Amino acid sequence: MATYKSIAYSPLSNAGSQVLLEELTASTSATMSFTSKINSTYKEYLFEFINIHSGTDDKHLTFQVSTDGGSSYGLTLTNSNFSARHQENDGTGSIAYTDNDVAQGTGFAVIAEGLGDENDGSASGYLQLYNPSDTTFVKHYISQFSLMNFSNPPQAVNYFTAGYFNTTSDIDAIQFKMSSGNIDAGTIKMYGIN
Amino acid sequence: MPRYHNINGVKVQFTAEEETARDNEEAAWENGALDRALTRLRVDRDSKLAETDYLALSDNTLADNMKTYRQELRDLTNGLDTVDKVNNVTWPTKPS
Repeated sequence: MATYKSIAYSPLSNAGSQVLLEELTASTSATMSFTSKINSTYKEYLFEFINIHSGTDDKHLTFQVSTDGGSSYGLTLTNSNFSARHQENDGTGSIAYTDNDVAQGTGFAVIAEGLGDENDGSASGYLQLYNPSDTTFVKHYISQFSLMNFSNPPQAVNYFTAGYFNTTSDIDAIQFKMSSGNIDAGTIKMYGIN
Repeated sequence: MPRYHNINGVKVQFTAEEETARDNEEAAWENGALDRALTRLRVDRDSKLAETDYLALSDNTLADNMKTYRQELRDLTNGLDTVDKVNNVTWPTKPS
């Protein structure tokens, strides 16, 4: 008589999987980069940010990608951003298109705006990069962050970004850094999505 | 203080060229601080103006205190020439 050790009940058993590929922990890091494991294995890469803490006040978390394994970062991109914000003292609240949008620029793209350096402040969120190894289409990305920004008193910010790298070249590395100063602490996990 | 990359979990010190490039990048960032602060202030100011836009429609008579409030919002950025001034601006009180 057979002994069953487990039974899969999930109706989503064929829905794919999320595979942790690498995890980086910041330690007063000027940059954080993944320069391997981004290839044609997965059609989507998910980057999860947990408690990213800026070393200095009022800085943006930014990113760029590479087609040469991380030797250089600066692909042409176009994107837009908007945010919803609400101050801890109920002083101001707004939803707005932000001025961090980029039109065919090669600088680092903002994905979280105005992080504060309070001891208990941080940003958490995600970035999805689609089909980076594709050689036919541009490379899309979407991100969303929840963060405590630098205002006095601080604001809760819900920050959205979406755009594309205007290239049909194979993206194989990604780098994150603050607009100025270091990433003092925090974790970035890279997953491959089947 | 030298800067460090975190590349796939490995700590790598910046080269001299990378240090110079990052110094320049950070200086440019600091130079834009006032513009960024004013932009953020205008976003909040515009949001507050929008809250009372409906009172300024042509089929409504705008009360004097509301006129004053909205004008003070429009004038909010006058004389703000430092980041500290922007961050410590006093908002006008919305009439009840």
